[in-house]
Amino acid sequence: MSVGHVARELEAAGIATVAIYVEAFSHYAEAMHLPRTVVTPHPMGRPLGPPGAAARQREVIAAALRLVDTADSPGAIERIGGAYRPGGLADDGA
Amino acid sequence: MTDSPTESLDEFAKSLSYGKRSDLTFKFLPRFDEPTIGDSLGAVLREVGAMFDSGNAADLIDLAISLQIDGYHARPLTERYRYDDGPFSRPERPVSESRVALLTSSGHFAADDDPRPLGVESMTQVEAEARISEFMKEAPTLSEIPVSSPADLLDVRHGGYDIRGSLSDHNVSFPIDRMRELDEQGVIGTLHETAYSFVGACSQSRLIKQTGPEWAGRLKSTGSDVVLLVPV
Repeated sequence: MSVGHVARELEAAGIATVAIYVEAFSHYAEAMHLPRTVVTPHPMGRPLGPPGAAARQREVIAAALRLVDTADSPGAIERIGGAYRPGGLADDGA
Repeated sequence: MTDSPTESLDEFAKSLSYGKRSDLTFKFLPRFDEPTIGDSLGAVLREVGAMFDSGNAADLIDLAISLQIDGYHARPLTERYRYDDGPFSRPERPVSESRVALLTSSGHFAADDDPRPLGVESMTQVEAEARISEFMKEAPTLSEIPVSSPADLLDVRHGGYDIRGSLSDHNVSFPIDRMRELDEQGVIGTLHETAYSFVGACSQSRLIKQTGPEWAGRLKSTGSDVVLLVPV
């Protein structure tokens, strides 16, 4: 909830914010009524994605920045699809 | 070894949350009732067994993340920090023309600028984990980190989460490399040259009353239009 409180202070100061939460803590963003939130299906401590997964990390940040441009009211939440797959791990067991 | 001849599943789960088996990835387990703890452990073991043949950890990873979600969602946020509405600042220009800053609660700092938590020089991750209750009473310190910092000049310490991913690649929680790339590609108008990080495990009342407003003033003075926030 620390980042939620920082978001509220920044917004009150006239700075637009967007926060990237993992799903485990998405209920915090909702309960704190944050202005813009992107939620990832990643584990705690790795909200942007697996180590070394630059494309995935870029995808998450790009979604967050798009939300800054598109959200026209507080409480906007966008969930990122996909799964957490470190080290090139495939979904199909290959 | 255990302290008593028998150990209940509840006691085992509690040992993962800053106890004798402290494990920051699974510290949520005592949030479950005892039957759910047993079912969860059984499910994890079944997936480990399945890996012997599949050689693929995808299902085990999905299960562990699913348990994390269920564990943290099992307890709602304290009423004190629930809000019916919130401030909303409408950007005056698109992100591609904005000054954007990064601020995370991941506990990163420049290796030559240790914030010395609790007055301790070069505190280890193990000590930060052991002293988590003291962190929760302290006002947080905001570390300033040049966005041009190479990986070997970055450090991270946070007693509230498993930092192994962040140690392997800081971008999983402190994405300065990705932000620089987006800046170079023109997705971001200007990337603020300083990124910020603090240890999110801190006194919420001090954050609300003191440091939060101070930080907002500091960010405002930099001319930042947008702040990308990354909680862990």
